[in-house]
Amino acid sequence: MMLEYLLFVPLIAGILAFIMPDKINRLLLVSTGIWNLGFSFYIWFERPEAIFNQYFKISPEGLLVLLVISFLFFIVSLYSISYLEVTKLSNKSVYTGSMLFFLATMSMATISDHIIVFWIAIEATTLASAPLILLHKTKESLEATWKYVIICSVGIALALLGSVLMTISIDIAGVDVSLTFSALTDSAGQLDKAWLKAGFIFVLVGYGTKMGLAPMHTWLPDAHSEAPSPASALLSGVLLNCAYLGILKTSGILFSADLGVFTGNVLIAFGLMSVIASATFILKQTDYKRLLAYSSIENMGIIAFGTGIGGIAAYGAILHLIHHSLIKSSLFLSSGNILLGYGSKLIDKTGSLAKYLPKTFVCFFGGIIGLVGLPPFGIFISKLLIILGAFQQGRYIVVSILLVCLLLISAGLMRYVMKISFNPIETTIALKEKPLLYLPQLTLLVVSVILCFWIPDALYQTIIQSISSISGGFNG
Amino acid sequence: MIQPVNIMSLLLILSVLFAVGSSGIIPIIKVVALQGIIVTVLPLLLHQDLTTGSLIFGAVLMLIRGFIIPILLYYSITHVIHKNELDPVCGYNASIFAGLLIVIASIYISSKFSFPIIQQTPLILPAAISVLLGGIFFLIARRKAVTMVVGYLMLENGIYLIGASLSKRAHQVVEFGILLDVLIGVMIMGIVLFNIQRAFDDTDTALLRKLKD
Repeated sequence: MMLEYLLFVPLIAGILAFIMPDKINRLLLVSTGIWNLGFSFYIWFERPEAIFNQYFKISPEGLLVLLVISFLFFIVSLYSISYLEVTKLSNKSVYTGSMLFFLATMSMATISDHIIVFWIAIEATTLASAPLILLHKTKESLEATWKYVIICSVGIALALLGSVLMTISIDIAGVDVSLTFSALTDSAGQLDKAWLKAGFIFVLVGYGTKMGLAPMHTWLPDAHSEAPSPASALLSGVLLNCAYLGILKTSGILFSADLGVFTGNVLIAFGLMSVIASATFILKQTDYKRLLAYSSIENMGIIAFGTGIGGIAAYGAILHLIHHSLIKSSLFLSSGNILLGYGSKLIDKTGSLAKYLPKTFVCFFGGIIGLVGLPPFGIFISKLLIILGAFQQGRYIVVSILLVCLLLISAGLMRYVMKISFNPIETTIALKEKPLLYLPQLTLLVVSVILCFWIPDALYQTIIQSISSISGGFNG
Repeated sequence: MIQPVNIMSLLLILSVLFAVGSSGIIPIIKVVALQGIIVTVLPLLLHQDLTTGSLIFGAVLMLIRGFIIPILLYYSITHVIHKNELDPVCGYNASIFAGLLIVIASIYISSKFSFPIIQQTPLILPAAISVLLGGIFFLIARRKAVTMVVGYLMLENGIYLIGASLSKRAHQVVEFGILLDVLIGVMIMGIVLFNIQRAFDDTDTALLRKLKD
């Protein structure tokens, strides 16, 4: 079995989805989800070689993101079965087709080793997910799609410039090394440092745009709130991770080239800016999907912050990545139920969730509890590790700013979730809670709780390997 | 091969000045087409070892960059959007002045670098940087949605020229992948534009202000 099946199978399934009738499409979505999850496990344990091994190669950080992608895609495809039955989408084959293309491009990003091929994959994720945001064809969704495509394409073009500058840093130093993340990390010490730094800044701004780091985040709340909820779950839960993968791998090169202090400080600055931006906007939200989108910006900021701090905080950042994906996807799926039930994205139009949609309420409330970082959910551990790491390094000022912002964000989130859950209103709910409309969310939350208490050894080792170049000799 | 390279680089710089001062969208698309052709030809002239394979590959790239993408854009303008004005954020005279500043800045920036290839052909790097900055100017200073697509294309042309002329390695498969992304990107932007035009009766981005906090 070759590694590239990961890319080709969803691609072919996506093409089929445009031809086949709706009924078969749903089956296609779920069966590709199952296949992809199975193949990801196969890759984890067998580590197959790629045919085009100058472009594709397995890396520990890629494996982590891949597992999150395939697990979440499987869960979202299950939710989609019932979602597509109850929702009024004009063009369901565009939905399934784009979801499958989206899966193919994200999987491609996780196994890309060549820096330009990785860029191609990330740009392709933008293009594959744009039709998902456009799906409702309202004026708002048109605006969101336009912003998404233009801002992300231009942003990612800057990442291409950054990659080109890194190529130049190889040529100037006169090193003979292939243009892959793994080869560059190995021979990072010989590269030209000034060009490497310049390249990193452009790469960070470029992929940071896609990851939702402030001040390049402006497309994110629009796109994530206008897409259909299962698509939002994937956009927020896994797409942002793919962009982070690029930043993590590039940081690995710079850390190996003894530019760790510079890289760390830049990452901390962007991370803090994102958390601050999110804290200012989350306190006065009127739309619950935008609320969740701003929380994604916050969490991406925390991940960048943790990566920049390094050591135990970098371990926390990777944990945070996994748990944020699980919890945020679960929340977006639940918000899909709320939208179907109440017919509005405005917080003021909702209320008494506990009475009208009790099962969704359990998932939504539990998710928010997890998101603000309360135990027993995994984000509690990951935030704790990041904050402890920052204190260990004596970064008192930045970590205090972070803590204040986290407090504000938690307050904002809790205030709105109480309003949605218990604010008494009289309304009629247009939704029956079928098992597939709440079990997927519940599964995601349960997985987060389990991973909080028990991390399989293979997973633990992979996390340690993935941060080996940036953690400064941290082991357990 | 030095003389044609210099002439083409000069043409690129002039094309940026022409584009920023132009008041219609169609001349700008023609400029982007011309730039697309030049940026694919220039690297072929710079690197001496021309093979049949690299020539065919260059021809394919030129076909996409210089013809297919501009024709798609042209089609979307003449058939979907009927107006040919740009609604600039700053006036055309100021734009030309900004264009001159872009050229000066590009020459200043490139004077900081020393590559063997720059010493032989001193104009190529300023040309690439001015195309890149010109693209960014279009993204900022014009309000029509189409001009943003044009700006994105110019930005991409500039980046391609920097990569292809400064870096010695040929990555044909990779370059083709990049261009495929750009091509599909322009198609999707075209589809979104079409829908925006139908929903709003205009493609002025000032109308896209509904989603905000």
